[in-house]
Amino acid sequence: MIQYVLQLALAGLAQGSLYALTALGLVVIYNASTVVNFAQGAMGMAATYVAYLLLTNAQVPFPIALLGAILTAFLIGVVVQTALLGRIADAPILTQVVLTLGLFMFIEGILGIFFGYNPRPMAIPLGIGPVLIGGLVLRPQDVIELALLIVLSVGLATLFRTTKIGLGMRAITENMYAARLMGIPIGRVLSLAWGIGVMLGGVAAVLAAPTTSVTPNMMDTIVVYAFVAAILGGFGSLLGAVVGGLVLGVIVNFIDAFLAPELAMSIVFGMLLVILYVKPDGLFGRRTVEKV
Amino acid sequence: MLTVRGVTVRFGGLTAVNQFDIDVPDSGVFALVGPNGAGKTTLINALSRVCSVAEGSIELNGCDILALRSHEVVRAGIARSFQRAEVFPTLSVIENLLVGLHVDMTTGIEGALYLPATRSQERDAHARAEELLRRLDLWDDRDQSPADLPYGHQKLLDVARAIISDPKVLLLDEPFAGLTDAETPQLLKCIVDAGVNCAVLMIEHHFELLEGIAQRITVMDFGRKVAEGPPAQVRTDPETVRCYLGTSRC
Amino acid sequence: MSIRRDVLAIAFVAISALLPLVLQTIGQRQVYWLFVVSELFIFAVVAISLDLLMGRSGQISLGHSGFFAVGAYTAAILNEHYRVDVVLSMLAGGLLSALASLIVGFPATRLRGHYLGIVTLGYGIAVDQIALKWDALTGGDQGIHLHRPTFFGVPIGSPVAMYYISLAVLVVVIILTWNLLRTRIGRSFAAIRDSEVAAAAMGVPIARTKVLAFVCSAFLAGLAGALYAFLAGFVAPEDFGIDQTLLFFAMVVIGGMGSIAGAIGGTILVDGLRVAASTVSGLSLAILGGVIVLVVLFAPSGLKGLLRARARSG
Repeated sequence: MIQYVLQLALAGLAQGSLYALTALGLVVIYNASTVVNFAQGAMGMAATYVAYLLLTNAQVPFPIALLGAILTAFLIGVVVQTALLGRIADAPILTQVVLTLGLFMFIEGILGIFFGYNPRPMAIPLGIGPVLIGGLVLRPQDVIELALLIVLSVGLATLFRTTKIGLGMRAITENMYAARLMGIPIGRVLSLAWGIGVMLGGVAAVLAAPTTSVTPNMMDTIVVYAFVAAILGGFGSLLGAVVGGLVLGVIVNFIDAFLAPELAMSIVFGMLLVILYVKPDGLFGRRTVEKV
Repeated sequence: MLTVRGVTVRFGGLTAVNQFDIDVPDSGVFALVGPNGAGKTTLINALSRVCSVAEGSIELNGCDILALRSHEVVRAGIARSFQRAEVFPTLSVIENLLVGLHVDMTTGIEGALYLPATRSQERDAHARAEELLRRLDLWDDRDQSPADLPYGHQKLLDVARAIISDPKVLLLDEPFAGLTDAETPQLLKCIVDAGVNCAVLMIEHHFELLEGIAQRITVMDFGRKVAEGPPAQVRTDPETVRCYLGTSRC
Repeated sequence: MSIRRDVLAIAFVAISALLPLVLQTIGQRQVYWLFVVSELFIFAVVAISLDLLMGRSGQISLGHSGFFAVGAYTAAILNEHYRVDVVLSMLAGGLLSALASLIVGFPATRLRGHYLGIVTLGYGIAVDQIALKWDALTGGDQGIHLHRPTFFGVPIGSPVAMYYISLAVLVVVIILTWNLLRTRIGRSFAAIRDSEVAAAAMGVPIARTKVLAFVCSAFLAGLAGALYAFLAGFVAPEDFGIDQTLLFFAMVVIGGMGSIAGAIGGTILVDGLRVAASTVSGLSLAILGGVIVLVVLFAPSGLKGLLRARARSG
């Protein structure tokens, strides 16, 4: 029994790392621009289609395809910020939400038109099969997901703490006005934040592809859980997003195994409601006071 | 009479209002002045229950104001305007004023049925709003969104919204800030008229404006009361002078 | 109310009332088109309800199909198993949906905009999942067929009857909503959207008003859902869900938020597009999404705003 629970937990962590990566992207974007990117999943999915095309049509090796996806995602983020969101920087939250929702619809729709909704398989060539360690089955896929999460999180943290541009991003989060006065190139920093944010979603999508297959709505489930993870993390804390994602992955896996998989999302939202009742700013969130 | 005793407001480590006392009689125009950051707006916020009070008491004719929530103070007779005109751009000018009268209206969702009782309430409210709008020369703008009006008119509307509910205490936060010279006399007259029936506590920086209309000025700095009295007296009070002109703060 | 709007309203009602007679000349396809337009009237009610919540009260709702679905299932269950009449079913659908909306209405008072959006998204998903899972009540993925709809005791057989009932409901909802908007509560909704602090200073109870906005919106959407159950004769989870939410969302955004006429205009455009593009998967989604993006960037007041600007300058 313990074996089974541990196995479930492990699988949950692996799945959760996908939620965490997507949530990390959401939080990076939100921290810099106070916009929740409701199109995060769709953008990652679009990048995955690029990887898919490179793999199947151009027959490139997997690492190149992955790189292609990452670059595409980064580019999408930069373009969306500079060409679209930059225009409505001062608009109320509702307007920005509406924009990202419109983007979500547009991206999913366009890819639906071009590729249809038939699932296209995409596997990550790993070379090694599952390994048995201490009675637990370790799938290389799971290890890669967790490893990438750790690497990217640490990389991101390092970026924010040690580089100039990372510092700029933190400054913008704290006080956009002061940052501008100090000469920080807001536009460039925001574009970078969006690029990184969407890129993280792209990585998550590519990693998810072997399980979900490549379809226009492949990321719909993951992005919903990513929202929840980001909220649990207070939508400001990177560590919170990672922890939230991992914990959520484990919880969802347990719900799937012991309760009803078809009700997993409902149960998760029920839990979220309870948590938000007690802590309306999320588990790690801090309330910002507005001056009258 | 509005009685404020020992009110202290803290934000984290900062004490914005410090053991503040003030008595505001039932009618007249009373000014609250002080350098930027003195705590004047915070005091108004405390009186209108927008921020919480750490210590002290606030009573209006025996009614404990601190026991009320922010949406209950207007019913107790305290109305206020804002430093930056907080008008409702979604509504028209006249509708903005009608919100000011909500405290006297009782229509709930049965308004969807527009029953005779609702109709007469709306008609009466419209009449009151029209009267005030005409007095303030805003009648022509009544169906426009305040967002389309010059800022001075928005400030005027903000003040009008507070006045229309016939409050006992009218708290005005820098009502003249942002007004042009042409717009100032209108508001001046409005405030003086209001001061006949109710108590007006007004935050203001321009001494010249106050000299004519305020019967008493209270000077505030670092959250404390520093001087209080008729304008002529306060103006020459050494403490006040030091607050405004000296390089070392009081 | 301007003369122009009066004329438009009367024209709309007149055209709608006469449409079935016009359609009779088409012959075989008449039933299909009566269905399409009746459905449009029902969706317009939902768009009005969503506009009341998002456009007027400024509360983000990404799960509106949930309110709609609760009303639809309530009506289906009441009518099919308990022979309840259309009118009572509609009222029950509206009331139950309003009650269920408290699940998101109460949290709405304490949550920031984005969180509310995500919570409402969860509500829509949860309603969908529960409808699918609780098959003893809802028939699961098989759904519920309605066999004996009656209107004040009279069995409704013909599509024409449903058409006029739908039109009547839309007109009634328009009148009720318009009344609400020009009285105290309607103004309070706008006030809490524009400035909570000023609204509170004027005595508007913020939390209670937000909950009321949800309740009113859910009631209307539930009412529409119940009517939809009778129109379609069938309810199943596949009819509801995120796709439907996005459609309603598009109707309100494209038509112009904060306006009844905008909601109706948006419904005509969006539903028209949906019907026209039904054979190509993804097409309507892409077009609607693209239009929403364009609207947000270049015409934030939607179609209504564009027409008003044209009227002012032209």
